[in-house]
Parts: sequence; structure tokens; C-alpha cells
Amino acid sequence: MNTILLQNLVNPNVNLPIVLPEMIVALTGVIVMLYDSFVPRQRSVTGAISLIGLAISAFFLVSMWNDAPQTGWNGMIASDGLRLSFTIVFLLVSAVTILISSVWADNEDVPIGEYHALLLFATFGMMFMASGNDLVIIFLGLETLSIATYVMAGLRRGDLKSNESAMKYFILGSFASAFLLYGMALIYGATGSTNITEIALKVANPNFPALLLVGGAMMIVGFGFKVATVPFHVWTPDVYEGAPTPVTAFMAVGSKSAAFASFLRVFVLGFPLIAGVQASEFLHESWVTALSVMAILTMTVGNIAAILQDNVKRMLAYSSIAHAGYAMVGFIGAGMAKNMQQRDAAIAAVAFYMLTYAVTNLGAFAIVTLLGQKNDRRTAFEDYNGIGFRAPALAFTLSLFMLSLLGLPLTAGFMGKVMVFRPALEANNLLLTVMVIAAAVNTAISAYYYLRLIVVMFFRERTTDWLAPRIPTALTAALLITVLGVLYFGIFSDGVIEKFSKSSVGTVFKAGTRP
Amino acid sequence: MSEFSLLDYAPIGVMFLVAIGFAASQILVTQLIGPRKRTATKLMPYESGKDPVGSARDRFSIKFYTVAVIFLLFDIEVLFMIPFAVAFKELLAQEKISTIAFGTIAFVEIMIFISTLVVGYIYVWRKGTFEWGLQARAEARAEAKEMVKEKNRRIRETQRVA
Repeated sequence: MNTILLQNLVNPNVNLPIVLPEMIVALTGVIVMLYDSFVPRQRSVTGAISLIGLAISAFFLVSMWNDAPQTGWNGMIASDGLRLSFTIVFLLVSAVTILISSVWADNEDVPIGEYHALLLFATFGMMFMASGNDLVIIFLGLETLSIATYVMAGLRRGDLKSNESAMKYFILGSFASAFLLYGMALIYGATGSTNITEIALKVANPNFPALLLVGGAMMIVGFGFKVATVPFHVWTPDVYEGAPTPVTAFMAVGSKSAAFASFLRVFVLGFPLIAGVQASEFLHESWVTALSVMAILTMTVGNIAAILQDNVKRMLAYSSIAHAGYAMVGFIGAGMAKNMQQRDAAIAAVAFYMLTYAVTNLGAFAIVTLLGQKNDRRTAFEDYNGIGFRAPALAFTLSLFMLSLLGLPLTAGFMGKVMVFRPALEANNLLLTVMVIAAAVNTAISAYYYLRLIVVMFFRERTTDWLAPRIPTALTAALLITVLGVLYFGIFSDGVIEKFSKSSVGTVFKAGTRP
Repeated sequence: MSEFSLLDYAPIGVMFLVAIGFAASQILVTQLIGPRKRTATKLMPYESGKDPVGSARDRFSIKFYTVAVIFLLFDIEVLFMIPFAVAFKELLAQEKISTIAFGTIAFVEIMIFISTLVVGYIYVWRKGTFEWGLQARAEARAEAKEMVKEKNRRIRETQRVA
């Protein structure tokens, strides 16, 4: 009996330090939760605890930066360029969201401690979505993130819009999760493993090639929902409009980049092109084509719908759909890369794009939160009429963010776009070139609605009285971080990209060119 | 990997048969030997439960949900602890003959798991989920006080009129 058992037991090769950043965030979440239950009347202590926890986690993450790519927990966790660069984005997003939400927490009667705990748990889920090298871990991370955000979207209990937002997000999100899970099950059936490195080895010779395709398609549905790509975007405007603005900021930036991290890991690293093997070539061509079409649709639909909006939050929601499309250009570029260096550079480009999008969008949502007042009553375009010269600091900052979202040179948005379009152009493929052209045209279209907000702020007369709101300290900090980020990533982007360009776990790569 | 054989799944088939047989025999036996008193209440699907026909938008206490969620928490706990308990002795034996401390690792891990659950328990306790009995009692006491007051007021009024 004993000898038989010994053979079956595997060495629990845990490599605990590899998940230290995640563990610290989770532990901070638990501490915040307990503190809140014993001291219910606090408004800012849990926020401070959360920020400290995120900072410690970031410290440990940065200290791992120069380690070679490694795996732990029997290959379930990977620490590589993809994980490190995305995780730092998540920690930044979470910290800035806490700063933004301090305004909202002061004005409204929301359970702030629970909110901070949920935010930390969501961040924890996001981090596992980036570091999971196994479909199971990715799914667990996704669900941890999703369940926390469903609750956060409905945090304004008395507000019907917030309730509607949470309910819609919950029902559609569960549906998407079911698709994703079914896809994972089929992939497991086709390859006999849930480990992404092993799936990549097995796609050349799958047990059931058809299952691989169906599974891949279902996973595109699941991830496509989370990153809000057309045609799985319908929930986005309603949910973003109804949720409290800081939560919207978190969903638009955090959930999206986390889903991109997993999406990249599963498709680019899990379903690579292995030259000369029919099953692999077919799978690769299928997903690249499907995602290219989706990317073009996403950009176009997002931008055209954004033009028609009268509400700033809805406009930003459609703009976030369009930005998912731009990020997908880089993603497909990574899928079509000809060698490992190019592939890792393209992955780094997507991470950098999410970073630039994060600082820009968080800044914009910070100002929308402040101007929205209690219960987000003032979020229509009319409410921004003529505030430009009455609150010049806010108006100019918001204009900077709009220009960065548009992608004006010298702002972060421009560098982000350049970085994600480059790998797609380098692929020398007709479809990808068309996609980049579509992205360029779409950038021009998006100028209409981004500039419209600036025009409204500076050149419209205001008929009603308006007092510039006082900017609280925490929000000033958030704005400072985001403005500096927008300018720094726009002007000195090379250093950051170099830091992000690290090799990825999963070394299956045989240089292959497609005819 | 061994060859696929449908016979390996025979126990599942047997289980299905037993399940169907059990359900069928229960219905059959009650039909045959059960006494019959056909009243309106007896014919309802849930004799002592909720009325099955009515508006689906009935309001009921949120406490049912919280209890259900807490039940889930501790249900899952048992689900994980029983396999641990079964394997633990074997793991301890393994620890003695191998270089890897299987038993200790398993013990520490289950302790981390339980402490996470305990944190959840403390949280729901502090949030007052278990106090619905007390709350209801407090409410009933307040209501009784109001009723006494009302009664006294009425008595006084009748006295004044008299």
C-alpha cells in the first residue's frame, strides 16, 4: 500500500515566493474585511490599509522583475514578462481607483469597507488571471474578479440604475463564464491537459481537432465578453452607465486588461503556429481570422456608437469598446509574430497599451466622478457646458485625457497606439494591414466625440448656475498620478517598454511563415 | 492509458437503476398501502409549505439568502475536510519514510483553509447575520411596549370620559 501511494504522490513543488504579490493583496483584503466588521464607522482607514497592501505587493513584484521566467505550483503559475507587466498595471489601477473613490465615499452612504475589500479581492483575481498558466487558475481568477465586480456595480443599493447595472452584468457575465468554462472543458478534451504550456505542445497532434476549434471559439466568446468586443459588447454601456463611476473606471480598465492578459496567454502562448503541422496551422489561422474581423468590427461599432451618445459615461463606455479593438490589433500582431522576440515585444506592446489606457481613462473617470456629484446625477454632455473657464484646472486636465484617448502625439495614448499597430504591420499580412488601416480611420472618427467634450466645456454657454467643486486631496493625488503618467508614457515610453519586454513562459515556437 | 470499455461504467448504470427503482417503488408503495383522505390541503404539492400558486414577486426576508450563503460556506468546508481526514494518516506515514514532509504540508494547508473560513465566519457574525432571533425578539418587545402604552392611554381616556 505504502509503496504504491509513494509513486502517486507528487512533490508539492510550490515555489511559494512566486505568488507572494497575490498573497499580500489577498491578505490585505482579509484584513480590510475584518477591520471593517469591527470598526464599522470608519471612512478612510480601510482605504489607507488597502493602499499600503498594494504598495507592498508592488514592491515584491518589482523585486521579482529581473528573475528569469519561471513557473511554480507544478506549472500552474507562471512568472514571465506577460505576468509582471500586466500585474503592475492592475496594482496601479487598483490604487488609483481607491484614490478616486474617496470622493464618492465621502458624499454617499455606501459600505466603504466592504467596497475596499471587494476591490482588493477583484485585484487578487486579476493578478491570477495574468499569472495563471493553467486554464483552471485562469477561470478561478476570472470568477473571483467577476463576482467582486458584480457586487461593486450594485453598491448603490437604493439606486435603481445601479441595481439594473449589477443585475445585467451578473446575468450576462455568468452566461459568458459558462461559455468560457465549456470552451476550457472542450480544450481539455482535445488536448488532455489544462496546462497552457502542455496545450501548446499538444495542438500539433490533438486527440480531437474539431473539439479544439469549438473549444477555442467558445473561449473567444467568454473572453470577448470580458474585454467587451463586438458582438459581445452589448452589456457595456448599460453596466458602465449604471455602476458608480469609480467602479466603472475599475471595470473599464482593470477587468479589461485582466481579460486581455488571460486572452493573450491562452491564445498566443497556448495556440501557437507550428509550421508544417496541419492541425496547428488550421487552428491558428481560424483564431487569427476570427479575432481580426472582431477587432475591425469592435473599433468601428464602438466609435460610431460613441458619436451618438449624450451621456459622458456612455460615451466613455463605447470608447472603451473601441479601445479594446485597438488593443486587439497588437494581440493579433503577437499571434502572427515570426519569432519569439517579436512575439514577446508584441505582448509587451499590449501591456503597455493597457497601461497608457489605464492612466488616461482613470484620470477621465476621476473628473467625471467629481463633476457627477451625488448619485452621478450630472453626467450628460449638457452638464459640462461652459465649465471650461470656471474650473480651468479640471477642464484642462480632462481635455488632456480626451486628447490622450484620441491618441495625440506627446500623450500616452499616441505611444500606446503606435506600439500596438507596429507588430501588426510587421506581420506583412493583408488582413492585418487592413486592420491597421481600419484602426487609423477609426482614430480619425473618434476625434469627433473626444473633441466634442472639449468644445462643450470651453465654447458652450451655461444657462444655469454652477460652482466649481472643491477637489479633495485624494483626488488631487489621483489626478497627479494620471496626468504625470499620460505625459511620461507619452514622452519617455522607451524605458517602460524595455522593462515590459521580457520573454514569456512556454517556449514552443518554430519559426513559421504562412503562405 | 487503458482501453475504453463501457463495462467500467457499469457501477454508474447500477446506481441509475437503483435510483429509478427507489423512486418508482416509493410511489408505488404509497399508492398501494397509503391511507387516502382527499382534502384540499392534502392535495397541495407541498402540504405544509408555501402556496405554490401566486405572484412570483412575493417579498420574503433577505435572511433566507444569508443563511443559504453561510450554509454553502460550511458545506464546502466539510467537502474539503473529509478527503483530507481520510488521506491524512497515510500522509503522516509517508512523511516518515520519504524526504518530503507530506503530512506537515497537508496539515498547514488545511489549517490555512480553515482559518480563511473562520475569517468569513467572524465577518458574518460581526455583521449581525446570526442575530435575527435577537432582532425579532427586540422588535416583539418594542411592539408589546407600544401595545401596553396604547392600552393605558385608552384606559385613561375612558376614565376621563367617565
